[in-house]
Amino acid sequence: MTNSGATGFNGLELHGLSRRVGNHTLVDQLSLQVAPGEILALLGPSGCGKSSTLRLIAGLDPVSSGDIRLGGRSITTLPPAQRQVAMVFQSYALFPHLSVERNLSLGMELRGMARAEIKRELDQVLALMQLQEQRQRKPAELSGGQRQRVALARALIRRPALFLLDEPMSNLDAQLRDNLRAELRTLLRSTGVPVVYVTHDQHEAMGLADRIAVLRNGRLQQLGSAETLYRDPANRFVATFLGSPSINLIERGDLQLGLRPELLELANAGSPVPAGWEALEGQLSHREWLGDRVISHVHCPGQGTLKVLSSEAFTSDTLQVRWPKAQALRFHARSGERLPGSSDPHTA
Amino acid sequence: MRRWRLWLLMAPALALLLAIFAAPLMHYLWLSTQAQSVLTGLKPVPIGAQQWLRLWNDGRFWQDTWQTLRFSAASVSLEMLLGLAVALLLHQPLCGRSLLRTISLLPWALPTTVMALGWRWIFNDPYGPINQLLAVLGLGAMPFLSNPNITWLAAVGADTWKTTPFVALLLLAGLQTIPSDLYEAAALEGATAWQSLRRITLPLLTPYLLIAVLFRLAQALGVFDLIQVLTGGGPAGSTESLALYAYLNAMRFLDFGYSATLLLGSFAILLLLCGTAALVWRWSSRLQGELR
Amino acid sequence: MARMLLLLWSLGPMLWQLYSSLRPNEALSGMGTGGWTLEHYRQLLQSDPPFLTTLLNSVVVGASSTALTLALAVPCAYALSRLGRRQARALTALVAAAAAFPAVLLFLALLELARDWHLANQLLALSLPYAGLCLPLAILLLTAAFADIPIELEEAALIEGMGLWQRLRWILLPLMAPAIASSGLLVFLFSWNEYPIALTWLSRSDLLTLAPAMARIAGSSVYTIPYGAFAAATVLGSAPLILLMLLFQRQIISGLTQGAIKG
Repeated sequence: MTNSGATGFNGLELHGLSRRVGNHTLVDQLSLQVAPGEILALLGPSGCGKSSTLRLIAGLDPVSSGDIRLGGRSITTLPPAQRQVAMVFQSYALFPHLSVERNLSLGMELRGMARAEIKRELDQVLALMQLQEQRQRKPAELSGGQRQRVALARALIRRPALFLLDEPMSNLDAQLRDNLRAELRTLLRSTGVPVVYVTHDQHEAMGLADRIAVLRNGRLQQLGSAETLYRDPANRFVATFLGSPSINLIERGDLQLGLRPELLELANAGSPVPAGWEALEGQLSHREWLGDRVISHVHCPGQGTLKVLSSEAFTSDTLQVRWPKAQALRFHARSGERLPGSSDPHTA
Repeated sequence: MRRWRLWLLMAPALALLLAIFAAPLMHYLWLSTQAQSVLTGLKPVPIGAQQWLRLWNDGRFWQDTWQTLRFSAASVSLEMLLGLAVALLLHQPLCGRSLLRTISLLPWALPTTVMALGWRWIFNDPYGPINQLLAVLGLGAMPFLSNPNITWLAAVGADTWKTTPFVALLLLAGLQTIPSDLYEAAALEGATAWQSLRRITLPLLTPYLLIAVLFRLAQALGVFDLIQVLTGGGPAGSTESLALYAYLNAMRFLDFGYSATLLLGSFAILLLLCGTAALVWRWSSRLQGELR
Repeated sequence: MARMLLLLWSLGPMLWQLYSSLRPNEALSGMGTGGWTLEHYRQLLQSDPPFLTTLLNSVVVGASSTALTLALAVPCAYALSRLGRRQARALTALVAAAAAFPAVLLFLALLELARDWHLANQLLALSLPYAGLCLPLAILLLTAAFADIPIELEEAALIEGMGLWQRLRWILLPLMAPAIASSGLLVFLFSWNEYPIALTWLSRSDLLTLAPAMARIAGSSVYTIPYGAFAAATVLGSAPLILLMLLFQRQIISGLTQGAIKG
């Protein structure tokens, strides 16, 4: 998939992209493609290289090796200004001394655009982002959500060939973030250009992106839709990083079994185990009540504590935790690589 | 941003810095090996190390060195003590604090020659205010500017008046970086004001004290304006500083070669003292770090 | 109590000058009691050259030195704040050492410079050594201020397609205005007060700046002096500075304070 159609492809392509500083490799041989109109999330813990990748695409840092292509032509060595990219920074990077209006128009003014045209663009984007009221305000006089909209507006007004966003939600409070997700997705899709969205928040990535690239230590772990990553993770890292509550891991010699909390079932201790199922017995240590669901934390001697997600609380305190064997994910204990065959119903 | 562009941006400033600071010192090195005075028709004539030998045997140089050191030690330590006191006072939450801060900084902002002239009048014998006050109290007049044993103290006083505000402001900046919850925690532990000062304020203020000492020491060792206007180096050369001696050699005796030698000699003393102070501090803070 | 003491200590000597400047000489030397007078100021303003010329010279030198210093220091500070840490640290240490260097030790070499390049008795030329002497402090202050501006602001401008000059003009300099103002004020203060170099560069009495002019007034004997005129000169010489301090107290104090914390 990575090397196909380097010439005909119309979106963003990364080929073996690397960035090294001293002996540190921040981005390691990263290859992927983002189609026009597609939103790709770069997901990973802090320091995984997702922001470094974004900075390479934007041209803010020099590439050590590899190629970046946009619309079929290489932009690897172009300065940021000539890449036609727009970027929304985590801090929004609004110019604090300029009004909302000037924040949006400064770039166009300096490019020598006609005043009437600037005004038309401004009116349009301010209306789209519902910022007409705030036109003359300084960034310090805006709320967090308004600042984010200004940052988005500044990116939109450039009519970029590529949209980059670096954790644009992380400065907003949780509720606002949930409300904005769908809105932002619609807006980004409407631009019709490739969108790269960096986040460390799996909900954000799953809710916004068409595909997700999980990074760790600068390396691509897996690339796919949210559902693929969740159901069919390439390795233990991807399996543990996605899903909340996170996946349970239990030791089986040089194997590890990965058990999603919703896969597990509770029964009274000592119940007979159905054919093709496996079970552990343990003590309930505590419950987290989430409203529609309950997370039961069951302490199983020798295996640690398993989290079980169910719709109703189980009354007894000594419990059996069981799961259909075929649906457990199997990982190599040392390397964390996913082992095949775990979906084979006959591996008893 | 390309690296060479950054250096290009710095180039004009760095060039001027080199021309104003480094080139003169190099020039002095050369000039100190040349006789250039009225005797040589103001043309430089190479004479090797003769002027350095002359410096070594020059009683006036050593006397001025002693007088400069005496002046610097007295005024810098006085300024540190008073400056700390003023800084602590200005750090208190008082009404009108910012106006008080500005007023207390005024002496520092005045030109040294202006305020030296003012002090000459204040120290006047017998019409200056101090001596008039002494007369009212029935005490004899103090010959501030005509007694070799007293005049240098008058110079220290005037210098302290002028530069204490600067030290105070530096230390105040340091005080403002100390988080107030440290004092609250200490107060909960039952520490007295004196204990908080010794255990919290002074240790955390050390870097600022050091910067102030180094800066003030360097400036005091080069004292010139104040001495020239207040006393002219007198009486009987008892307040002459190294810089004034070098100035007189160039401008009055027209002995440029020796003046350059004197300036380098002063620079060497300055480097020695400030370098030692910085090294001692570094060494002691490292030692403290190891003990912890 | 302590506050009163501080006020007295700071203002007392200055108030004494003001008082002396308004008293006739006979009253000052205890020979008469006689009232108040503006005679000293009249003398001063009518002296040759008039004292106002001296003040004007100081303003010219101060303004040109400030402009030159800032023109050199701003780009240098910008580059220094964007340079790699190790190189920047070494350079900063050198600059800080230069900031503490007593300028008087340079007078002889600068005197020769003035002689060789025919810069003596030219007010504007004086801003060359003054800018050199003020650069270290200005660079330290401005570098710290540049480092305080989030790098993303400049990157956002970069992505907007702004060149170096546009970024400085539209983004960085407006944000630097307070720091530039306070460094400028400190440079002006230095130039206004500088003595040894003005003393050796300027000899024509109509070109003297304030500091050497005051010293020249003091040049007469220590014992028989027209002290009233002296006092009037100190008052007039200090007044512009006191005004400046009161007007820009916040900028000056923050400039000094920032210099201490960051330097």
